[in-house]
Amino acid sequence: MLTILTASMMFLADGQESLRAVPPSFDLSGPGQYATVRVEGLSAQGNPVDFSSEAAIEVENPGIAMIFQGRVYSLAAGNTALRIRANNQEIKVPVRVGAVAPPVPAFEQDILPLLSRHHCNSSGCHGKAEGQNGFKLSVFGSDPEADYESLAFEARGRRILQTGSGDSLMVKKMSGRMAHGGGSRIPSSHPDYQTVLRWISSGAKQSDPSRPAVGSIRIDPPQATVGSGTTRKLQVFARNANGTEKEITAHCRFYSNQESLALVDQHGTVTMGNLPGEAVVVATYIDKTAVFRAEIPRQGSFQPGTANAGWIDLPIYQKLARLKIPKSPRCSDEDFLRRAYLDLIGQLPTPEEARRFINNKSANKRAQLADELLERPEYADLWALIWSDLLRVDRQALGMKNAYAYYRWIQRAFASNKPLDEFARELISAQGSLANNPQAALFKVVSKPGEISSTASQVFLGRRITCAECHHHPFDRWSQSDYLGMQSFFTGLQWKSQGKVEMLSSGATTPGSSARIKRQVFAYALGEAMPDKQPQGDGRALVAQWMTKPTNPFFAQAMANRIWAHFLGRGLVDPVDDMRDTNPPTHGTLLDDLAKYLITNRFDQKALIRALVLSDAYQRSSAVLPGNEGDEWNYSRYPLKPIMAEVLLDAISSATEVPEIFPGMPYGTRATQLWDSRQGNYFLKVHGRPARVSSCSCERLKEGNIASVLHELNSPGLQRKLSHANGRVARLAQSPATAPEKVDELYLAFLSRIPSPEERETAVKSLDNSKGSAKENWEDLAWSLMNSVEFLFNH
Amino acid sequence: MDRKLCDGQSRRDLIRLGAAGLFGFQWPLARLLAAKNSECNLIFLFLHGGMSTIDTFDLKPDAPAEYRGEFKPAATNVPGIQISEHLPILARQMDQFSLIRSFRHHNSDHGPADHYMVTGYFPQAGFNGGIIPNNQRPCFGSMVAGKLGPRGAVPPFVCLPKMHASFGSAFLGPANSPFIVDADPNAPLFEVPDLEPPMEIRADRLENRKSLMGKIDRFRKRGEVRANPAAGGVAAYQDKAFELMTSLATRAAFNLSAEKDSLRDEYGRNTLGQSCLLARRLVEKGVRCVMVDHSNWDTHDKNFQTLKRELLPAFDKGVAALFRDLKARGLLDNTLVVMTGEFGRTPKINANAGRDHWGPGFTVALGGGGIKGGIALGKTDAKGERPAADPYGPEDLAATICHCVGINPNDEWIMPDGRPTMIVNQGRKIEELL
Repeated sequence: MLTILTASMMFLADGQESLRAVPPSFDLSGPGQYATVRVEGLSAQGNPVDFSSEAAIEVENPGIAMIFQGRVYSLAAGNTALRIRANNQEIKVPVRVGAVAPPVPAFEQDILPLLSRHHCNSSGCHGKAEGQNGFKLSVFGSDPEADYESLAFEARGRRILQTGSGDSLMVKKMSGRMAHGGGSRIPSSHPDYQTVLRWISSGAKQSDPSRPAVGSIRIDPPQATVGSGTTRKLQVFARNANGTEKEITAHCRFYSNQESLALVDQHGTVTMGNLPGEAVVVATYIDKTAVFRAEIPRQGSFQPGTANAGWIDLPIYQKLARLKIPKSPRCSDEDFLRRAYLDLIGQLPTPEEARRFINNKSANKRAQLADELLERPEYADLWALIWSDLLRVDRQALGMKNAYAYYRWIQRAFASNKPLDEFARELISAQGSLANNPQAALFKVVSKPGEISSTASQVFLGRRITCAECHHHPFDRWSQSDYLGMQSFFTGLQWKSQGKVEMLSSGATTPGSSARIKRQVFAYALGEAMPDKQPQGDGRALVAQWMTKPTNPFFAQAMANRIWAHFLGRGLVDPVDDMRDTNPPTHGTLLDDLAKYLITNRFDQKALIRALVLSDAYQRSSAVLPGNEGDEWNYSRYPLKPIMAEVLLDAISSATEVPEIFPGMPYGTRATQLWDSRQGNYFLKVHGRPARVSSCSCERLKEGNIASVLHELNSPGLQRKLSHANGRVARLAQSPATAPEKVDELYLAFLSRIPSPEERETAVKSLDNSKGSAKENWEDLAWSLMNSVEFLFNH
Repeated sequence: MDRKLCDGQSRRDLIRLGAAGLFGFQWPLARLLAAKNSECNLIFLFLHGGMSTIDTFDLKPDAPAEYRGEFKPAATNVPGIQISEHLPILARQMDQFSLIRSFRHHNSDHGPADHYMVTGYFPQAGFNGGIIPNNQRPCFGSMVAGKLGPRGAVPPFVCLPKMHASFGSAFLGPANSPFIVDADPNAPLFEVPDLEPPMEIRADRLENRKSLMGKIDRFRKRGEVRANPAAGGVAAYQDKAFELMTSLATRAAFNLSAEKDSLRDEYGRNTLGQSCLLARRLVEKGVRCVMVDHSNWDTHDKNFQTLKRELLPAFDKGVAALFRDLKARGLLDNTLVVMTGEFGRTPKINANAGRDHWGPGFTVALGGGGIKGGIALGKTDAKGERPAADPYGPEDLAATICHCVGINPNDEWIMPDGRPTMIVNQGRKIEELL
């Protein structure tokens, strides 16, 4: 017994007889079918390897089946076998082709997917608005009827000739036999060429109603753990409404969400890159999508370490352990202090506040600080600024008075910690006089029903539905009908003026319709079923109720994700307002739990913030460890976050103790208190303050640019802050304290920490520069601190 | 003005010394010295909003009234080519540039069309026009910067008088982003903001500051800057900023007041005219590409009035002066000038006496840099709606621009993740103009 065991283990260790095909045999019901041949085996180290892309496959009887791009295609009834060679082994796999005649090809079931698969109907080709060279297809095949019409009947019927299918314009063009701007898309050697020929010669049928509709598609495997640099062959299956499944891999299009992690080719073979992380690959089939997720662990040793993790950190640790990415240690008190001040109230701590915190011996001091900051008035200023961008507080669109009142409404909501569901509900269903309901201004900035529903979906649900205005969303589940259903809730808005008072009211809503969707679309919300009549009552009140009820699948997630992204530097779904099936969260269960937390705590933003700020993930150091330098997705280290323009300007003003002057605003107004994003200020403009022309969180520029850097280095305005006679720098220069004491003070003011002994020495030495006056040397030191990456980023 | 400091040395002299001695360049010196002045420059005048070319370069006097509009065609100095009666000065320079009248692309939205015309690539899924920059692909200026590098101490790519959202460098990164002049060259006190330290900062202080900054910034010294793309970008911009600040040539290039008043008048005392003049001055001083973002061409209303009164007089003067001046200085042969909007405008006039967005057929004008002048290539149909034959598109324009400035259109970029990608998306260079 023992001998046998050993022998078989030896066997495997040599990589012998480990090769196998998946599935182990191929049963195709009849000619005209295909199946992907997956070849798996073991490496010399005994690890499973996908050999599919390198395997040599031959068919014993080429009359019965053929191999094309790693798939077996049945040609005629009978039995044969595949000979598969890979990894110095050869195996034989039976193939049985039944006698079931292939269904007569139909446009919608068989041809339309090919047009997408071969990029014929892409937006750069025949799918564009004007078509290409007189031949127009709907983009991504969103309008099968129109596509059939234009193939079968336009161009005087030359595109398909049933009498001589090979002479059809379509066949000549797609195969490249006739000059074709797109080149040879489906050459005669391609199995799809035969499908098109058979379709034409069998009468070019539009649709085959006897075949079951495709309900959904799935990728097999849905997820896997794979080595960096390896490849993996994917298969896609369509699940029909009647429960049967059919392979459709060769009819799908593939793309990778993060090409630095993994690439995918048009046949569904994924090649992993060298970075550790989780790659997401998307397959699309007409209007259906599916994803494959590959976890690519880092190579090398990994100590998981022990962690007593809370509910936020557990899923993060689990994933880091799976990916073998080491996490940076807990950050210092000073780092936490600066981070918490900037993130919670958009301000730097004063040197006194910093000292008090650093010297506080309480074990609980980080939690105490979070609680303190959450109650500061600047907290509301910061969140009002963030939401004024999203909700587009725009003086030019609204006028001074309305814009200010709108801003104040938002600010009060955060000052009073208004539950987020209430906040959203009051906005979406606002009505009455603008004076009493300043938040109704939203409907002045965005006034068309389609625009409002798109804005509301993007801001409050994190879903972008605009694509579906014209065609089925190519990468999500939303159809034109879904778009119209959502839009219908926002119809019937009326503005009336009574003297100087402007009144918003909700009139009767109207069902949606479009040229393409011939039936009426009654108001219904995303993901719900359409009712059989138009819902009665105030459309906006209905959709606001739906949006904010605890069972809504989108709202709590979207809000939690936005808050998470603010504190952790990157949303679990990123961008925060582009949540869709094909852009899944990096940590799905965590996003669910954050959403649940919000719901359980009645949408109390401060409660969620407190939990986030006290998580290990938030308290992680930004120091880079060997092994986590390439990780931007898994919270293994704290990122260096760009600081919002307004917050950065306030930081400079407070570090120098010279306030910025804003024309028309009271002295001492901070940049984070500005309600008008058009307030003239070059610093803010050049540092990417948004003009609030869209509700996209992407409008705020986060990337540095040469102008903003030059401004930091050279602006006379900033130099004035450094040299101002009443400013901190001048005061320090004149102060009788010792140089090291004063250096400490300057470090506390700019970087919220005490310098290391070496740093202190460097700084003190710089003050001895004989070429400059004492005051100038202090200015130069302060300037260097102000322009350091450490100061310019939140870390 | 070059103020003397109390010790008798001019601040600029000191800064210049600093430039030579202290700050390294991103490009090796050998590369800089190898750059020849004969290499071709690019001035790209982007007529943002979409110039109505049926009213300027491709008039249709025989089309029905609701198409042809008010303007009459007028002769140019090239027999057989007529352009609008409202471009009389430019008409006398017609032999210096050519028209592609059969230009077209498939998009009629600001945003995607802008991106298409200034990169040669139509944007893919995920494009968001609201971000600045919104580039999925590098714009022409970044391509020039990325492939050819700086020439001397001036930046290789400048955009003015503001940053257009699609004038970004995409995957070519911060090093190839434009140097943005966010100021109107026609303003009386025009200067590039923040290009120089404030007056009280002597050159030795600047050196002191820079060296101190290098010693103090602990994040620059450790791995954080490399591991965080945003911080890495700022650090790279800081290095670049020091190069610019310490370069005497850069400041001379931007010093528009060094131009004679009479010449400034000839270009026209307006933003477009002075932008053209500054563009010429910059390429003369070594800048390889200047992209001018000139707005207000989106004439949905009062098309004819706006063109006749505002846009065309400025365009006529500025562009005609640019061609004349480049020629007189011997710069035209190695400076390609391209003039285009993101699209043209609907040949059919709308209810507001305006014309709307129209990608399917419009004219692109270009001259210099090896382009033959005096050619009207291709034509549109009777109503000016679509190319009648031989259509050209943004890919072809990209191939032609690349060819002229000395970039191989069949070359590739290597993206940061190591993948190759074509510089030009399958365009063909327009042989008829070369």
